[in-house]
Amino acid sequence: MKKLCVAVLSIALLAGYAAAASDLEYFKVYKPTQGMSADEIMKIEYFVKYTEFAHDASFYGKAYFIDKSGSVRERETTRLRITLGRKSDDIAYKDLVMFTAPAQVKGLATLTWTYMDPEKQQDSWLWIPSLKKIRKISVANADDSFMGSDFTIEDILTRRFEDETYSVLSQENFKGYFCDFTKKTYYQDTPCFVIEAKPKRSPWYYSKRILWVDKATGGGIYEEMYDPNGKLFKTIFKKFQAYNVNGKEYPAQELLEGKDLRTGHRTVITNEDIRFDIGISEDQFTEQKLMQSRW
Amino acid sequence: MKKSVLVVLFLLSSSLAFAEGQFDFSGYLKNEIGIRLQDFNGDLQKFKNIAEVAGEYKVKEDIVLFAKVKYWYDLMYDFRSQYDKGQDAMGHIQRTDWLRDCYLDYTNGAWFLRLGKQQVAWGQADGITILDRVNPVDLSEYWLQDFVDMRIPLWMANVNYAPKLNSNLQILIIPDFEQSTSAPIGAPFTTYAYTRYDNWKESMKRIGGSVDENVYFPAKKFENSTFGLQWSDRIGDLDYTLNFLDGYYYSARNTTIGLGGVRFKVDRAFKRWQMYGSSFNKTFTNPGLMQGITLRGDLALYKHEPTYIGDPVTASAKEIKRWDNVFWLIGADKYVATNWLLSFQFAQYILDEAKAKDNTRPVQQQYPMNPFTYGPADQVENIFSVKVSTDFMNERLKPEVMWSFTDDNQGRISPKVTYEIKDNLWFTCGIHYFYGDLLDSNGQYREQGQFYTQLKYTF
Repeated sequence: MKKLCVAVLSIALLAGYAAAASDLEYFKVYKPTQGMSADEIMKIEYFVKYTEFAHDASFYGKAYFIDKSGSVRERETTRLRITLGRKSDDIAYKDLVMFTAPAQVKGLATLTWTYMDPEKQQDSWLWIPSLKKIRKISVANADDSFMGSDFTIEDILTRRFEDETYSVLSQENFKGYFCDFTKKTYYQDTPCFVIEAKPKRSPWYYSKRILWVDKATGGGIYEEMYDPNGKLFKTIFKKFQAYNVNGKEYPAQELLEGKDLRTGHRTVITNEDIRFDIGISEDQFTEQKLMQSRW
Repeated sequence: MKKSVLVVLFLLSSSLAFAEGQFDFSGYLKNEIGIRLQDFNGDLQKFKNIAEVAGEYKVKEDIVLFAKVKYWYDLMYDFRSQYDKGQDAMGHIQRTDWLRDCYLDYTNGAWFLRLGKQQVAWGQADGITILDRVNPVDLSEYWLQDFVDMRIPLWMANVNYAPKLNSNLQILIIPDFEQSTSAPIGAPFTTYAYTRYDNWKESMKRIGGSVDENVYFPAKKFENSTFGLQWSDRIGDLDYTLNFLDGYYYSARNTTIGLGGVRFKVDRAFKRWQMYGSSFNKTFTNPGLMQGITLRGDLALYKHEPTYIGDPVTASAKEIKRWDNVFWLIGADKYVATNWLLSFQFAQYILDEAKAKDNTRPVQQQYPMNPFTYGPADQVENIFSVKVSTDFMNERLKPEVMWSFTDDNQGRISPKVTYEIKDNLWFTCGIHYFYGDLLDSNGQYREQGQFYTQLKYTF
């Protein structure tokens, strides 16, 4: 149960956590430009992925887990997020994710604090309705799949800029991605940087990732993951939508699709009712708030 | 009366809420079947059908009403004559137990109030109630139910004030009183102590004697309320609480008085006690050997805890001592090999004395007794638990095994598997295997091992 919630927190966040180590300033919007190195492009990619441009955000999310036979399982969450980037206690973000459906998991809620230090793990607390109790939870292993999804904890939660080495493979127009879930094609002929990312950790469950980074937003719109034998085993697609907030354009992930090519299982995550910089108070992200859960 | 008014208010508010779209509800229907493992002869232990519905209504952003109702019926007591004696208490939900939650939440800045029928859980222990003593418990199925179903909710004022970020002062005023309940005679999990007592009572009757039972509940006065206090805060990345509880012990203790011949009087009285405690948790987040490990713990001093003293050999309780006992626990959790969660707990329950300092009774009648069995109680009881859980099939199939045991070679092993058939349909099956001496807490149920299934439909 604990792991489930850590996992779903990840899904819900989409934007994950802790970029850290980047020398980009919080609460600004960055875009990659011609002539940037692979490292510079990837710092922006992580910055966008982890929504470090926004002070706070609220989301309503749905996750669909679809197996090879087409059987679908669903989860719904609402979540709050505050970006702090505070040096005094090293806290980068705080996230609160609450499950709203299905009823079996309704009420489960996870509070996570992410630190700026890339070596430091998150602190997580879980509200367990069947106990009416908060439990501090250990963070699941980075290579673990979560909640039946096709992402690892690392894909969404814990991978940081410092975990890989990068090189620019090319610049090209993305051929487009047909999403099985929405039956639409996205980003056809979109100019991208193509980046190869290799994990420093070895052996590891993947040998490299090939990412297509949108030149317009810095968002990693598509990636291919290769196993230690060099065989493609997973693809991840992300659709970004620009939100105009106080004159700034925030790229937010509205749709995510991950496919495990070995099992035929795929995961789709949609984000709705996305709101940025609405003045969420930090006292929403405390154990005490979790303790007040009703479900 | 006050309670009825609150319930009516809630129901009225809910109907209004529905119209305004401020209403949220969910619930479930569940079937639980338990089959006795002993001899594998298919003895039914339960065939329980449960319905539960919960709803909340947001009156305003800072005022919310919440209620949960539950009903269950156990068919087994209709067609298993051997359980006839338990029919009344175990066959269906009792009295007002159907109302599980009914409260109003009010938030104003640093203040948070929850007023009404509710349960409050303290502490970090998993499956053991060390600080978790605010509510009485329903042990009609021993400790096998979920804690949310085991705790008996009470009407109370739960007042919280957060003077600074990440800290909280909680004050509980609980004028309501309910006693903890155990399985009646004739149920699968009747305690051995109760069975021995009932046998003795029946034997007295058979020889023409009598046993008059009197239960003395605390008078309904404000000063008889239970009062609780919890301070929670953080030091660095260590979360801790300080706890205090002052109220009536939820389990009555029996005093048997001989009236001459084979006539007896048994007074069941509730004693006031206090609990002083503390809990902590910490996850090691920095790199190193400990990274990823969560440590947690509870410590409680039970001041004036009513403790049976008597002769465990003859199961004869002679008096109730008000001892200062200590219960503490430390636990650790860690993920290994990708998705295997290991949890380990060690606890000690330490009685004030190994033997009562009372020379007015024969030596053999001065020993502390296990209240579940009337067997002997060790001065220091060492308790261990290990839990391993993982998942398969994209977390659709979740096996788990829990083993709890003591240094007296008694314990319980409970493996289970949960499978998500659909979003709203979940199936669980598992086993509870008990072992140990008949006079030990788990050993008393060594012939009540259970194979069970649960089918839950949620909406």
